[in-house]
Amino acid sequence: MASTEVGAEPDTRRAMPGRSIGAGVLLGIGVAAFLDETVFHQLLHWHHFYDGSTSDVGLVSDGVFHAGGWLAIVVGLFWFADLQRRRTTVPRRVWAGGLIGWGAFQVYDGLFQHKVLGLHQIRYGVDLLPYDLAWDLSGGLGVLIGIGLLFGPARPIAERRGIP
Amino acid sequence: MPGMAPLGVSPWSWLPVVPLLVVAAGYLIGVRRLVRRGDRWPPARSVSAAAGLVALAAALLPPVSTHADVFTVHVVGHLLLAMLAPLLLALSAPITLVLRIVSVPVRRQVLAVVHSRAGRVLTWAPLVLALEVGGMYAFYLTPLFSLAHEHEWLYVVVHVHMFLAGWLFSTVVAGRDPLPHRPGLVGALGLVLFAGAAHGVLAKLMYAHDLPAVAGSPAQVQLGAQVMFSGGDLVELATAAAVMTAWYAREGRAQRRAAARAQVLA
Repeated sequence: MASTEVGAEPDTRRAMPGRSIGAGVLLGIGVAAFLDETVFHQLLHWHHFYDGSTSDVGLVSDGVFHAGGWLAIVVGLFWFADLQRRRTTVPRRVWAGGLIGWGAFQVYDGLFQHKVLGLHQIRYGVDLLPYDLAWDLSGGLGVLIGIGLLFGPARPIAERRGIP
Repeated sequence: MPGMAPLGVSPWSWLPVVPLLVVAAGYLIGVRRLVRRGDRWPPARSVSAAAGLVALAAALLPPVSTHADVFTVHVVGHLLLAMLAPLLLALSAPITLVLRIVSVPVRRQVLAVVHSRAGRVLTWAPLVLALEVGGMYAFYLTPLFSLAHEHEWLYVVVHVHMFLAGWLFSTVVAGRDPLPHRPGLVGALGLVLFAGAAHGVLAKLMYAHDLPAVAGSPAQVQLGAQVMFSGGDLVELATAAAVMTAWYAREGRAQRRAAARAQVLA
């Protein structure tokens, strides 16, 4: 996918905003999944491993997204490291992708997995509405800010001052 | 617990030490021969081999092997034997080592086996995935689990299958050995995703339905299922990191080649 072909354009320091967005999306999805697992499942114990009402479709969807979250963070980190090595990272686009990936995962988890599939709730024994609103609106806000960052100058780090 | 009698510790419990030491000695002799004639063998591969054999030893020797009647201990053994040890051993590139130290006629024979029709079929990604995931689902969700605990030969067959399937999977996805065909980057990551998701779903199904039924009280099974879920995550992370490390090195070499060409042209 990102192979440098022999005889390709020798200037490898062109801005690659598309790859920066891609790496950002993967990192964003990974961070959302990681926070969900560590903070909400393990530390706060708000989320449950299995809450007894989960359908089998829900289990499969959860399994794919859980495994995909770990994969996204690993692939995103290596992809980002490769962009840094080429000095073609566009930080603004990494942030754009990151916020879109994080926000979209948050909204998918909040609306589809929690509500439609009934996988589990954010927290038990409390009025869910404020939690659901905070969960979904923060995700939606992340997507909007991320889309905003898709516009504007796409300057790779190689063009920064002081870097040969 | 029905069907899960504790296995007493006897001198025979330590028998697996013998094949493990033979394999370790073989690997060591091979690497020494390479180094003596001035060839390079990445130290990371030797470290992988040592770590893989330690993981295998931990799974096959007491206390894990003799306390497998406690379901959580059984799960730890399963994670070591069927997932972690196969990954580490695949990363140690044993087939490559054999090919580098044997004589030319033997090398031809080994390559003929690797590239035979059976070799091509066995390394076909969907079959690899089915052997890896199917074995685990059959073992934990069907009466196979209790049958294997009643008949020792079946117990051995099931565990040999899980180790070999894990090794095949790790070799195809992340291994460094020559194969008739190998999935590309996207294919390898897809296989990691599918296997990781399938393992996680299996752990949740065990938790949700108290399976295997004979493994112990619901609390014991649920604890084991959670250990299986988290341990599977760690191995999935390690597998993904192994795939991406190889990609990062390939990309680096391609970039250095391109830079060298650019210098020549300039």
